[in-house]
Amino acid sequence: MKKKKIFYLLILIFFNNSSLNSQILNNLRSSYESYSAYYIDDSKTGDFNYEDRFRSNNYLNLKSNIGASWNFELQIESYLPSSLLNYSPDFKNTGISTFNLEYINDKINLKLGNFYEQFGSGMILRSWEDKDLGINNSIRGLNFKYRINDKISLTSLFGQQKKGFKYSKGFIVGLDTEFDFSNETNENYTFIAGLSFVGRNDDQTSGTTYHNTTNLYSARIDFSSLSFYSNIEIINKSKDPVMQFGDFYDDFVEEGAAFFFNSGFIKNGIGVDFTFRRLENMALFSERNAFGNSYNQSIVNYLPALTKQHDYSLANIYVYQSQPNVSFVDPNLIKTGETGMQLDIYYFLKEKSFFGGQYGMNLALNASIWNNLDGNFDFVNKNYTTNFFGKGEKYFSEISLEIRKKWSSKLDNTIFYLNQFYNKKYIEEKFGKINSNIFVIETTYKLNKNKSLKLELQHLSTKDDNKNWSAFGLEYNLSSAISLYVSDLYNYQNPKQDKKIHYYNVGGSYSKGINRYTVNYGRQRGGLVCTGGICRYVPESTGLSFSITTSFF
Amino acid sequence: MNLNHIKLTIIIVFFTQSILSQKNIPSIYVKTIEGKSINSISTLNKNGLTIYSFWATWCVPCINELDAIHNEFDKWKEHNVKLVAVSTDDARTKRRVRPLIMGKKWNFEVLIDENQNFKRSLNINGIPYTIVTDGEKIIYRKIGYKPGEEKDLYEFVLKNSINKN
Repeated sequence: MKKKKIFYLLILIFFNNSSLNSQILNNLRSSYESYSAYYIDDSKTGDFNYEDRFRSNNYLNLKSNIGASWNFELQIESYLPSSLLNYSPDFKNTGISTFNLEYINDKINLKLGNFYEQFGSGMILRSWEDKDLGINNSIRGLNFKYRINDKISLTSLFGQQKKGFKYSKGFIVGLDTEFDFSNETNENYTFIAGLSFVGRNDDQTSGTTYHNTTNLYSARIDFSSLSFYSNIEIINKSKDPVMQFGDFYDDFVEEGAAFFFNSGFIKNGIGVDFTFRRLENMALFSERNAFGNSYNQSIVNYLPALTKQHDYSLANIYVYQSQPNVSFVDPNLIKTGETGMQLDIYYFLKEKSFFGGQYGMNLALNASIWNNLDGNFDFVNKNYTTNFFGKGEKYFSEISLEIRKKWSSKLDNTIFYLNQFYNKKYIEEKFGKINSNIFVIETTYKLNKNKSLKLELQHLSTKDDNKNWSAFGLEYNLSSAISLYVSDLYNYQNPKQDKKIHYYNVGGSYSKGINRYTVNYGRQRGGLVCTGGICRYVPESTGLSFSITTSFF
Repeated sequence: MNLNHIKLTIIIVFFTQSILSQKNIPSIYVKTIEGKSINSISTLNKNGLTIYSFWATWCVPCINELDAIHNEFDKWKEHNVKLVAVSTDDARTKRRVRPLIMGKKWNFEVLIDENQNFKRSLNINGIPYTIVTDGEKIIYRKIGYKPGEEKDLYEFVLKNSINKN
């Protein structure tokens, strides 16, 4: 007891000391997130066949600084008694996941420890954190940025990538330069160019026909005016062995390439955006052996699916995942990458017009199509050539229209229609193709200043795979702090009687200021959970889950 | 002085310190919608309030909030308040930011926080997230948005801009 008193007294002294320590403590900022679940057996979704019914992921982040030049960051994560279902087994117990020191002045930014970085659009390098997906591929090492002047900046880095609480064995080196050629006297135009290099060294795998190091080079330009913009990026990847059935072969070593083009036209009330992208053998992992791992670990570059990120649950059943890799599964299933495009149109129908009504109306159209590369594939000799133009087997396409209309200060409506084609055989390397139509209507009604009701009705119709689905969601916001909901997804036409399952969920949230607490009871549909164009598989489960998001100081 | 006393003192020390310590907007490089790097400090409204609204093109409540503010923003602007909509869209969706804001006729300043450096530096762990600053000093933080909450934010802005004058 006495020891404890002394300990607390010491803390007190430490806190009220006007030294450096107290400056650090004074400037301390924190955030805390906790996601927990208690899984139960369910006659419909099956028994819980894993260890630990109660599971919890916890993240405490602390930041502080001394003056304007020195920053510190520490993130402690705890997975006790174990991590939520389908997070990597490398996330276990408690440990330090992020620790860094940073020095900043007008010209220099130097970071030692774990850091996040992105070159260009991330196609050559991106390290980031996404707790929903269990991704934290921060690099531990040195990150140095130097702004030579307003026109030229330089970023360099080296280190090893985080993998759970461990680090991958491969090394990453990177260099990025950005040049701003914009004319200062004319602010209506900007012109920016960039060059990047990323090298990955992995001595865990070796062969006679390839090096330990794989190099990627990229060049990009970005032009922008008041009503028009355009950007292009080109990437080359040096020879890297292709993983086949979990192994590498000396006679199957290929280069990779990417081409990205985006352009748009904008004026008040209308926006149009078009993107073309071609990827060939572009995946890069900080350890070659991590290729295709189901936890998205050791990813060096970011190659998201360029499709619309849907908000509605039924629109997230057949989700496209980008296909950047070479895969020779069988003579009838050969992939070497993807090529395709996406178009977005946003249009605002004016207030007080015939269609616009008093408040106007928002329209959003999205269309995308993605195909395998066109080429000659020799399955027996593991050999292929591809054509830059042209396209192979179709992976995916969709077209959607969203109409948002405010009728009065109390009533809002959103109508959403989506037509999808999903080639399950090629995307998931299973079998089947799915053509589907999804229709959603959402109504929000404000009862008074802080009370509102939202009703969402969805339907997916298809003759393929598991046939039709219906879904609904009802949300009641009974004050600015409290919200309750009930929702259900029902695969009512599933050909298997025991798979006609109601994936119901009930729950609520309380949020005030920066504090947010949620609780949910229900069934999780098995399948892909996707955020930011990256997906992971989750098993079906039933249980009670709750989360806390807060900040202590 | 027993243990509970000490604990209480610690809590109070923590608490008062958290109030006393001024938490400011950090100096971070973010991108303009044209792709130019600028310092976050230069986006502040030096003599008034700045609202930073962290959003993304795929976040429906975020868009609902910005739509709701947009509909009344002429009234807000009379109180010397600036709104900066910080898009946290990454490479997957950031190309949609410009057409969306033009299609919606939002006239807010928009920043692109593509790898979420700005968001991370402010310890933001979910969007929509709203921060209000008076000069550089953060005076308001809120996570989430429900229909009607823009009125609460407006009242906060009104109260604090009146206090200033």
